[in-house]
Amino acid sequence: MKRSKTMEFGVGLFMVAGILGLVFLGLRVSGLTLSAPTQSFQLEANFANIGSLKPRARVTMAGVTVGRVEAIELDTQWFDARVVLSLDSELEGQLSKDSIASILTAGLLGEQYIGLSVGGDPEVLENGDTIRDTQSALVLEELIQQFVSNMASN
Amino acid sequence: MTDAPFIEIEDLYFSRGDHEIFRGVNMTIPRGKVTAIMGPSGTGKTTLLKLIGGQLTPESGRILIDGQDVHKLSRKALFTLRKRMGMLFQSGALFSDLDVFENVAFPLRVHTDLPDTMVRDLVLLKLQAVGLRGARHLTPAELSGGMARRVALARAVALDPELILYDEPFVGQDPISMGVLVQLIKRLNQALQLTSVVVSHDIKETLSIADYLYLIADGQVVAHGTPQTLDANQDPRVSQFIHGEPDGPVPFHYPAEAFYRDILGEAPATQIGS
Amino acid sequence: MQSKFSNSAARITRLGRRGCDLMEALGRAGVFLFQSAIGLPSREGWRLWLHQMHFVGVLSIAIVLVSGLFIGMVLALQGYTILVDFGAEQALGQMVALSLLRELAPVVAALLFAGRAGSALTAEIGLMKATEQLTSMEMIGVDPLRRVVAPRLWAGFVSLPILTVGFSVVGIWGGYLVGVEWLGVFEGSYWSNMQANVTFINDIGNGMIKSAVFALVVTWIAVFQGYDLVPTSEGISRATTRTVVYSSLAVLGLDFVLTAIMFGGL
Repeated sequence: MKRSKTMEFGVGLFMVAGILGLVFLGLRVSGLTLSAPTQSFQLEANFANIGSLKPRARVTMAGVTVGRVEAIELDTQWFDARVVLSLDSELEGQLSKDSIASILTAGLLGEQYIGLSVGGDPEVLENGDTIRDTQSALVLEELIQQFVSNMASN
Repeated sequence: MTDAPFIEIEDLYFSRGDHEIFRGVNMTIPRGKVTAIMGPSGTGKTTLLKLIGGQLTPESGRILIDGQDVHKLSRKALFTLRKRMGMLFQSGALFSDLDVFENVAFPLRVHTDLPDTMVRDLVLLKLQAVGLRGARHLTPAELSGGMARRVALARAVALDPELILYDEPFVGQDPISMGVLVQLIKRLNQALQLTSVVVSHDIKETLSIADYLYLIADGQVVAHGTPQTLDANQDPRVSQFIHGEPDGPVPFHYPAEAFYRDILGEAPATQIGS
Repeated sequence: MQSKFSNSAARITRLGRRGCDLMEALGRAGVFLFQSAIGLPSREGWRLWLHQMHFVGVLSIAIVLVSGLFIGMVLALQGYTILVDFGAEQALGQMVALSLLRELAPVVAALLFAGRAGSALTAEIGLMKATEQLTSMEMIGVDPLRRVVAPRLWAGFVSLPILTVGFSVVGIWGGYLVGVEWLGVFEGSYWSNMQANVTFINDIGNGMIKSAVFALVVTWIAVFQGYDLVPTSEGISRATTRTVVYSSLAVLGLDFVLTAIMFGGL
């Protein structure tokens, strides 16, 4: 009888470990957050070209991660990309209206992310506002093309 | 108690692959008696028990147990019928993950809702009957062959069945445990008014307990009767088996071509291309 | 001439018979799965299932976790030497996690499970058959499919996905040990790259679905081979080998099919 009790205990431990493992995979590996969505606010930004930016990519400010890309869709009015950013709520009302959002690349071939830099306008961005000043992603082919045409015209 | 036979086997045919095992077997097994079914190895005696237990289905013919056709029953009715049967297997077939006590308690736990104390009493009673009450905490692996068979016997009678099928109960036993088993089978049959079917080829022991004998060979019943009448039977097939003669209608040699030809290495010309 | 004709005719007959045998075995296995899986769980069944969880699950933990650790470490080592050439070693976490979650954990855990638990299940049920325990259970009026096969089937089905989770977790940790602690990849980028690129539904969820499918197939093959074998010692050893061979082939074949459906855009 005692042996069967330790066996039951072992099986119980096994199943709990399985569930904990799944929780670990969810939280630590796939980055699911349990925090409530009210702790963030949203801004929009239109880019002429987003390169290979993906949803859930980082949004940084001075290199510090302050949020992530929530959604990317095609703006059918201007035919450019509308990117919805979700940022930490402590930044709400802190970013000036003329802040710049640029798409940057980590390393030569690394993932792309968005970098924010603040301007000097006294007016600030509120939840749902749009960042006017944006810099598109660098696309390698376009750079090379520019370089080649410059060489030719010289 | 009626005098109608407990088991009736009518015109039974059964084959495995191309090998015909039974070709029209007829038997009646009387109620409350020990009936022995004997025959040389490989004549399908165990198969016959499996047919009676409903684990195999015959090609034609039928088997009636207490008036019920075993192979026409639904799965549920068959399992209900099996509660009235006990079977003692050649190897004992004790469940290796349970100890002796739990093995005997197994049928009680599965088929009855008896409280634990009553199960305990019944199990100890059955184990006492086979003389192994002291071995209740051993595992099957710790038992000798004879002891395992006695535990299996206690398990087979745990539900007080009306019929017990014994599959080769004496094979591979030393003379002492053989004697114990003979005694047990006899006593159980008398005490519980059981109908017993013993399948065996151990002549001496079987003759000593059987009330009636069937001898099967070549898929048919070749002789039947009380031990005395069979002993006196003049049929060469019967007397060869009963008296254990090495050669006779059942030949000593496996079928082969003529010895001289084989040993001189002559190619059996007629065999090629046929 | 005539014998040549009759020879090839005999060959065709044999082929046909083998085909029929295969179909028959598949049908038997299907009916077998159906009959043993539908049994309603009772209190007794629960206890038996628990016992088998211990046997097939808990006792397989060691081999699965140790293999997971080594595979994660090797992945990090191999991945690093390739990624560092492109200056992309910060993608190491993503590479290790995705390879493990999508492919290696379900497949390797299933192969190990077939070798460790599957063969043991086959041998155990085969031994019960050879010693007439299954027949005697049937004669006592207990269905061995319910009593012997069903708990093992369900235990295998539940255990393997848990083991697969363990494999992934330990593998990712092994990748961390080698990548971050040893090769000096920045710790933050190991995890953040992983978190940015692994999705719960697509990667972890699909890996779990794969694992559940493999669990069913491997356990099914194992218990069926045990139940259907020729009850001799030779038969048991052959069936055990067959379990490992068939399960491995089934796992790898199904992995391709499932991957094509999940990630191949089919």
